[in-house]
Amino acid sequence: MSKTTKPLWQKPWGYAESFLIAFGLLFIGFLLELSIQTSSGASIRYPMNLILGAVFLVLILVFYRLIRKSNLYLFLSGIPASIGAISVLTLLVIIMGITPQVPMQEDNFITTLSLNQLTTSWPFLFINFYLLVILALVIIRKGLPFKWKNWGFVCSHLGLWITIFAAGLGSGDLMRLKMDLHENKTEWKAYDDKGNYYELPLAIKLNDFIIDEFNPKLAVVENETGKLYEPTKPSMIMIEKDLTAQLHDWSVTIDEFLPLSGRAGDRYHPLHDFGAAPAAKVSISTNSSENLTGWISCGSFNRPHESLKLNDNYSLLMTVPEPKKFSSEVTIYTPDGKKEDKVLEVNKPQTVNGWKIYQLSYDEKMGKYSTLSVVEVVKDPWQIYVYIGIFMMMIGAVYMFWRGNKVTINSEQ
Amino acid sequence: MIWNYFLMAAGVSSASWILSAFIPKKDVIRNLLVLIGILSMAVYIGFLWTSLERPPLRTLGETRLWYSLFISIIGLITYFRWRYLWMLYYCLFMSLLFLFINYLHPENFSKTLMPALQSPWFVPHVVVYIISYAFLAASTLVAVYGLYQVKREKFEAKYMQVADNLVYLGFAFLTFGLLFGALWAKEAWGHYWTWDPKETWAFITWMGYLVYIHRRYQKLAKYVSALWILALAFVILLVCWFGVNYLPSAQFSVHTYSMQP
Repeated sequence: MSKTTKPLWQKPWGYAESFLIAFGLLFIGFLLELSIQTSSGASIRYPMNLILGAVFLVLILVFYRLIRKSNLYLFLSGIPASIGAISVLTLLVIIMGITPQVPMQEDNFITTLSLNQLTTSWPFLFINFYLLVILALVIIRKGLPFKWKNWGFVCSHLGLWITIFAAGLGSGDLMRLKMDLHENKTEWKAYDDKGNYYELPLAIKLNDFIIDEFNPKLAVVENETGKLYEPTKPSMIMIEKDLTAQLHDWSVTIDEFLPLSGRAGDRYHPLHDFGAAPAAKVSISTNSSENLTGWISCGSFNRPHESLKLNDNYSLLMTVPEPKKFSSEVTIYTPDGKKEDKVLEVNKPQTVNGWKIYQLSYDEKMGKYSTLSVVEVVKDPWQIYVYIGIFMMMIGAVYMFWRGNKVTINSEQ
Repeated sequence: MIWNYFLMAAGVSSASWILSAFIPKKDVIRNLLVLIGILSMAVYIGFLWTSLERPPLRTLGETRLWYSLFISIIGLITYFRWRYLWMLYYCLFMSLLFLFINYLHPENFSKTLMPALQSPWFVPHVVVYIISYAFLAASTLVAVYGLYQVKREKFEAKYMQVADNLVYLGFAFLTFGLLFGALWAKEAWGHYWTWDPKETWAFITWMGYLVYIHRRYQKLAKYVSALWILALAFVILLVCWFGVNYLPSAQFSVHTYSMQP
């Protein structure tokens, strides 16, 4: 089979040119990264992002007016250009998927090319920008003049465009701050990652922090290293009343389990005290040695933990219980004098005065006795536009499901 | 009570779904049986909802009920639209599997999920991926078969139509998976997309199939390259599914659910 190949850059452009342009952008991006690294902290905020966005939109329209009769327009709004841009972005994201995206101190090619923080690097920005231009021209080409038979195409592509555009521009206005709430105190200041404090148009008083825990688990550790011993799975078994379970070579029976207790004398007693900790009386039998009985406890911030020595090498211990559910009962005050009682819980944020309040964490050392609740407050004025884009893409996906291969069958005829 | 009713509902669903597998040719009766199975699940979830006085989304067992319900519904809808009997049966099989796991592990009904997973987005997020991966895996089979036929010079254009359709449907569900994930992340953590390794690889998978779709949109005659793209896209999908945890980037992923001591 002989193929006639067209010399590069001779019109009409095709795949070769498309990939060259996309890789070229990548190359320039990396060169820029070598000379001036993007400072990951810098972001464009209101009103600059709004102005830039508007300018970008106008420029695209002007660009379209200028080139709409040329081959360049057909190329940029065509399939080869799209595939080139998508492929090169994919390549970049693959790099991102392999190298850990965390700040690093060392000086090597990964850090000089910012391969460890690609999302804030020049090449990433360039490719996305290029993709936005192409996508815009594709939408214009398919959407103008608008024909009903193209609605699904326009909906999904425009949805994607709006999502990238709004999320990209909005990222500068996105405020994600943390707030430390202490029980019975009112807080109106929040801080960012760098420790800068901001005053919020709302104040939160923590009335109660409630934490619901799973039962602690049984585990065996090596005496010398303190490492978890796990020759067989499961290596940890949740404690329940009257449980008998096989943990590796030992058969463990829970004789007594006290969720809240304190040690007095030679045993633990139920106790409802600040810092009371779970404890269990366990009997252990192995096929070789005699039975062993004793108390174990995971302790708490003010009570020691206690493990049971199984032999010279291993000990049985109780793990610190994991949280099942934690929530904060709060009163939220706003400058207009309103006050509202709300419950903050993971996955159940509350919205007040344009700020969304998320339950984030607590003082893990104190565990269930924590009087500190850390919440995240987020303001994202661009959220609604991103949502519009996302829902348009969803409609596009339903359309795609419904139409299936009619697209290619039609174009074949 | 809750458990006995579960046995009843699961029994009705299983019986009608298994029965439907024996009469693949009798369209009306089969569909009716599938529908009865779905209704029995729906009624049970409704009962659970009212008797618990909260949406049954908190425990492992509860989420699996939803999987069964949604997967079978999607299977039926897909069947009505596209007449893929294998997909209907795949969906019913998956639904049965989840019911069966619940039956084997009654304790799952009291195993509370970790707080971050207790979200209305969790179930749809997982369900659409289960469906999507099935379609995309099927399209890969077509691609491999197609490449084999190309080698034997017995390729027929109709293979591509089958592959196209499977990819479009799989891609539609994949898109939903990504977007549900993004909406969930926004609700739970305040950000749509954090480039978590799993997210990154899901995005790469999405882009891979996007390349295939665009390639097919223009050069219909050049099917060999499209077939290779399709086969390659599935390799990426597998990396996303299984491989991510082994990559150096996965140290801090929110999608690894290993239990910490």
